[in-house]
Amino acid sequence: MTDVNLFVWWAAIISGGSIFQVLVAIYIYIKQRKRRKESKKIANNVDLLKNFIFVWILIGLLVFYIISIKIGSANLFAAGNIFVEVILIIYLMKNKLAE
Amino acid sequence: MLNEAKVIRKNYWSISPTDVYKTLKTSEQGLSEKEAQQRLKEYGYNELPRQVFSWFRVFIRQFKNPIFLILVACAVVSGFFGELKQSIAILLMIAISVVLGFFNEYKAEKIVENLRQSVSYKSLVIRDGKSYEIDSRLVVPGDINVVYVGDIIPADARIIESKDLQIDESTLTGESFSVEKSSKSLDIQHPTPQQLSNYAFMGTVVTHGSAKCIIISTGKNTELGTISKSLVRPHPETEFQKGIKSYGKMLMTLTMALAIGIFGLNAIIGHKLIDSLLFSLAVAVGLVPELMPAIVTISLSEGAGKMAKVKVIVKRLVSIEDLGNMNVLCTDKTGTLTEGKIILNDYYSLTEEKDPRILSYSLLCNKAAIGEKIIGDPIDVAIWKYAIDNCAQESVKDYSKVDDIPFNYQRRMMSTIVKKDDKLLLITKGAPESVVSRCKYAEIKGKNKPLSSVLKSINVKFNKLSQQGYRILAVAYRKIDKKTSYSVEDEKDLTFLGFLIFTDPPKRGARQAIAKLKEMGVNVKILTGDNELVARKICEDIKVPVKKVVCGSDLNQMSFTKLKKIVEETTIFARITPEQKLDIMKALKENKNVVGFLGDGVNDAPALYEADVGISVDTAVDVAKDAADIVLLDKDLLVLANGITEGRKIFGNTIKYVLMGTSSNFGNMFSAAAASIFLPFLPMLPIQILFMNLLYDIANMTLPTDNVDEEYIKKPKRWNITFVRNYTLFFGPFSSLYDFLTYGIMLFIFGASTPALAKVFQTGWFVESFWTEVLVMFVIRTRRIPFFTSRPSKWLTLLTLSCVAFGTILPFTPLGGFLGFAPLPIRYWILLILMVATYLVLVDAGKVFFYKICKF
Repeated sequence: MTDVNLFVWWAAIISGGSIFQVLVAIYIYIKQRKRRKESKKIANNVDLLKNFIFVWILIGLLVFYIISIKIGSANLFAAGNIFVEVILIIYLMKNKLAE
Repeated sequence: MLNEAKVIRKNYWSISPTDVYKTLKTSEQGLSEKEAQQRLKEYGYNELPRQVFSWFRVFIRQFKNPIFLILVACAVVSGFFGELKQSIAILLMIAISVVLGFFNEYKAEKIVENLRQSVSYKSLVIRDGKSYEIDSRLVVPGDINVVYVGDIIPADARIIESKDLQIDESTLTGESFSVEKSSKSLDIQHPTPQQLSNYAFMGTVVTHGSAKCIIISTGKNTELGTISKSLVRPHPETEFQKGIKSYGKMLMTLTMALAIGIFGLNAIIGHKLIDSLLFSLAVAVGLVPELMPAIVTISLSEGAGKMAKVKVIVKRLVSIEDLGNMNVLCTDKTGTLTEGKIILNDYYSLTEEKDPRILSYSLLCNKAAIGEKIIGDPIDVAIWKYAIDNCAQESVKDYSKVDDIPFNYQRRMMSTIVKKDDKLLLITKGAPESVVSRCKYAEIKGKNKPLSSVLKSINVKFNKLSQQGYRILAVAYRKIDKKTSYSVEDEKDLTFLGFLIFTDPPKRGARQAIAKLKEMGVNVKILTGDNELVARKICEDIKVPVKKVVCGSDLNQMSFTKLKKIVEETTIFARITPEQKLDIMKALKENKNVVGFLGDGVNDAPALYEADVGISVDTAVDVAKDAADIVLLDKDLLVLANGITEGRKIFGNTIKYVLMGTSSNFGNMFSAAAASIFLPFLPMLPIQILFMNLLYDIANMTLPTDNVDEEYIKKPKRWNITFVRNYTLFFGPFSSLYDFLTYGIMLFIFGASTPALAKVFQTGWFVESFWTEVLVMFVIRTRRIPFFTSRPSKWLTLLTLSCVAFGTILPFTPLGGFLGFAPLPIRYWILLILMVATYLVLVDAGKVFFYKICKF
């Protein structure tokens, strides 16, 4: 396999993995929501931004990782990771301390 | 003569009791203590030849493991195809696994063995003319043994006296019905054990009546001793075992599918067949949580050791986790909610006169054995103690006992036929409603009146006393003619004499214990033979909110479907039979409850056996202790609450291992499968996968010592395979994503895309894979913020970090070279640290999303 082919393969597999994860998240969310809806524990509307913030982070990360690997820049990769970590830690603090 | 091994085959069945005494050199007074000690030396302890705890057996068990077989297959296949280095390495790993497994299991077994020995069975024997309660292991041939309902026969014995004796011989014969026994000699040649109606065999249970027997053979010389290996009755599977089984099935399906898929795809793509085979086998090994049995055993045995310190003895290890998950506890009243020290408070007739005959008749109609200590049913013992304290025991000296009609749970009464001045008297003592229903008259101020004229006042008095929390028995009598034998048919046309009034005060601490159990999500139900008024009073005293009370008579007419509905809302089941207790257990279990049953009487044994967790006490009758999974050295619910906490911690740590195995581990193996498709070389060598697996196992060894978050142990948990599946599907891909990312870094930043640089690629992925696989445990083990609001145990932290350090320096060592690793550039380590940190924070963020929608 050539490098180009290899990169396509790699990008396809990592994207496939991420899409699989997003689908699983949606599947679990819908299933649990259906169950709760039956017991009338939640409202009807779905806040796509709030409820799926984790999915957006994941997709953002995937795009960033593919771009940084494509460019082949270790520095970009390192800086991006630090940026994402900071965002995730803020998200965690906000959520867990609220609990 | 006694030295012959098969003493049972001596024809004791055909000779008279007097001849049995002579042959065994004993008498009605029993052996002397000195002779008994001599015989103990001669015949040894009265115990069955059981599997002795041995290190060899534990060692051999390490090889009876499918993972072991897969690893051996890997070694053989490698060796066969000339990969000698790989073959030796795999064999070395097998050796390390075996040694690790052996030491941990040996330690666990030793704890269990010690605990097992702390539960003993007692036998009532006559020695030097006095009654003694001794450890059943000390019974010797020639001992006179007295047995009552609920006793387990301690050794093979010839019955010399019996009264309505029935014995459950299912342990020996498999027959589920009790058989009648008597002392009558038999004229038969070469009998089978079933034909020996004047023998009582070791391990069988007295279900009705009583008997006096001479022990004829003990230990391995008994019938049971010769066939003991085939007599192990399997316990019903616990909820935890069912959960483990369904988890195993789920994992096995995944493993098989993945292993076959990887082998097929690799073969199609054109990788070497041998490499493909070894790689798929290694992935399979990597997926199987081979440490699961060891983690569970270590957790359980450590837990059992801790529970023993708080006086809770675990007889069946696997029940600990069900104890933790128990959400309904059914308990008797006496001794659990009450002090269990039954005291005869008073006795009086219907006109509240203290008629001394009430006391003397209850002394005569009494089964307590009076020796150095008063032994027997607590009610009978209480009557004797009262009589001795009030110097009233002499009142019975002019009477001689003629016969007994033993107590049973259907009649709830017992009778004795006594003789005084050639006149016979039948005395009955028992539950007031049972006794009164057999009365025709009532004695009021020395005169007999028809019962119908005073029945109302009897009921009023009985209810009033019951409402005050007193336990009441009625005493009645009748004159009776001389007969050859007496039976329950004679318990009729009685004359009601008066009441015996007992107190059993609520236990100090019961209130707090009930409150704690409620807080822990355990719903307490009371199953009692007493009447509902007494039970209600106790509940009131200890603040148990009573939702509903159901009596045994109501249950008689109830269908199982109705029972299933009613058990959920009922707090007190009063006046119930052993069969009804069993039905209640079944109904609660059918309703998907994890049910515990705490009982100590012979009538509790079936329910103890049926419950998910059977709990008894050290002072219980043998058959109850035998049926129980857990024995409390103190009959205290607070002790039980501590045990429940321990069970929940163990369950929590087992679940951590399951969740780790099914998320990170699964993700890693999945990425290995995906990579093998598009890479021109194997992403990791089989030997490297196996070594990583071994290191991962070592890191997990201290997981049973880990701390469990408080909120986790607040409520009972259950195996939830849907949760485990969702967890796997959700968290597994995280690990794969970061594996793919590592591939990207190795291929496109470090250019390790050719077979020449395969070693660098494999090393890079090994380190990343191992770091993520092991470190994610700190994130998965809690729902809180790892380290900040939930600290792992120091041993877990220490061992895990040591393993990570070892995995990190491995590529720079000769062992690393041997395993096919190459040193990695510094730049990679920097990227790795950043990447793994992002991974761990991302998984933690994933937890926020996941736990918002999925509950365990």
